[in-house]
Amino acid sequence: MRPFNTVAAELRKATTLPAVWAGIAVALFGSAAITLINAFSTRAALDAGHPEARAFTSPFETAFAAMPLGTVGAVVIGVVIFSSEYTAHSVEVGGGRQITATLAAIPHRHTVLAAKATVTILLVVILAAITMPVTVGIARLVIGSAGAETVPLDDAVERCLGGAVYWALTGLIALAITVLTRSGIIPLIVLIVSNSLVSVSLLLTNLTPLAHWLPDMAGRRLFGGLHTVEGGLDALPGALVMTGWAILLLTIAAVVLRRRDA
Amino acid sequence: MIQIDGLSKRHGSRTVLSDVSFHALPGRVTGFLGPNGAGKSSTLRILLGLDRPTAGSALIGGRPYPSLRTPLRTVGSMLDGSGAHRSRTARGHLGWVARSNGIPKHRVGYVLEQVGLAGAARTRVGRFSLGMGQRLGLAAALLGEPEALVLDEPVNGLDPEGIRWIRTLLRGHTDAGGTVLLSSHLMSEVAAIADDLVVISGGQVVAAGPVAHVTAGYATLEDAFFGLTGGPGAGEER
Repeated sequence: MRPFNTVAAELRKATTLPAVWAGIAVALFGSAAITLINAFSTRAALDAGHPEARAFTSPFETAFAAMPLGTVGAVVIGVVIFSSEYTAHSVEVGGGRQITATLAAIPHRHTVLAAKATVTILLVVILAAITMPVTVGIARLVIGSAGAETVPLDDAVERCLGGAVYWALTGLIALAITVLTRSGIIPLIVLIVSNSLVSVSLLLTNLTPLAHWLPDMAGRRLFGGLHTVEGGLDALPGALVMTGWAILLLTIAAVVLRRRDA
Repeated sequence: MIQIDGLSKRHGSRTVLSDVSFHALPGRVTGFLGPNGAGKSSTLRILLGLDRPTAGSALIGGRPYPSLRTPLRTVGSMLDGSGAHRSRTARGHLGWVARSNGIPKHRVGYVLEQVGLAGAARTRVGRFSLGMGQRLGLAAALLGEPEALVLDEPVNGLDPEGIRWIRTLLRGHTDAGGTVLLSSHLMSEVAAIADDLVVISGGQVVAAGPVAHVTAGYATLEDAFFGLTGGPGAGEER
């Protein structure tokens, strides 16, 4: 009864938090907007008879180019689900933080962390189940019959599932790191920049092949169809390595959360 | 009953609590009194399982707080105001708190009415005044109809009407056999509410017992407070 009540309470907390909805909006509307822009460019190139001007003309690939924004959404969800516990009120109204109320209600800290991880996975998977069909649908609608779909359906489904797993694992890693930092600012900046603008791990692969074992590099083949960077781990071993990172970081987070004063 | 036994807490080389022991009995309001920084909040945080003691134990009904399955049905507490995230509404905050302990939904509306916040149920907590935050914290404490109430500085930010209201509320709770432990740094306010006093200073209990017993020998309540806690004017009146 207690785990169920805790998950239900944490789900309610997450869905009544505006920052969680901001993360969902970035992932859903952001990737829809980027897909729209890319799809119109592809359509224009095709109509002009210059398909070689685009890296790909497949609607599915066009939609999948927007996947990093979903990763950003997963980061935001994972971070704010925990950092919101430590948002302090101003001193004039007591300076309290929600973590006090949370641990008074659910003193078993591992139950709290497990519930937050469950809610993170749940929200990210629902987000993926909406975002991916929507973006692929937009790309198909805009490009239409002009661009041939080169990605077979079973491939597309597999890559969507892989992408959802990548998002969920990223959300869990973001959650675990935020447990350690307590503030959301540093994990948000580092993880968003790394997942959207410059991948620190990708740069590190120039220095050492070991960087291919960092979580985001290890898991990147879950999206499939990536030919930009050679080397590194294949999809399945990469997914296992990324899962290993998530489990390791959550375990460290659980130990720290249990030992420290709230 | 709340039992604190030999509680010690150190942060590095700094001693926050040293060998703190006292009981809070059912049917009585126990006032936990001391100047700011004396160790009141540290004691209550350990009692509620938020901080870990270096030594000693804190039990509620013979059990440590973290071992309670649905703690809010046994102990209602308030530390540092409401503990509600500022972007949530009062009703939203109490909603998840109730859900976490399997407390029926109708209790949310009931306690909001009880603390006088029914009209602000859909207001975001970030727009609350200190007094409203205290009332919301009390609402959360009362949610699970607990036997014991543990309240840190509950009268902070309340107007005189609010203080009178909380006194009636707590009296009703102890008349029904409940236990109340409340902290304060204001002697006059605590003396008006409490049956028993525990006075703490510099992390040590310096006096404990019924109010009349603890304040005996001092001309005023204020003199007693400063006399016991070693503040300004200590030892002049005795």
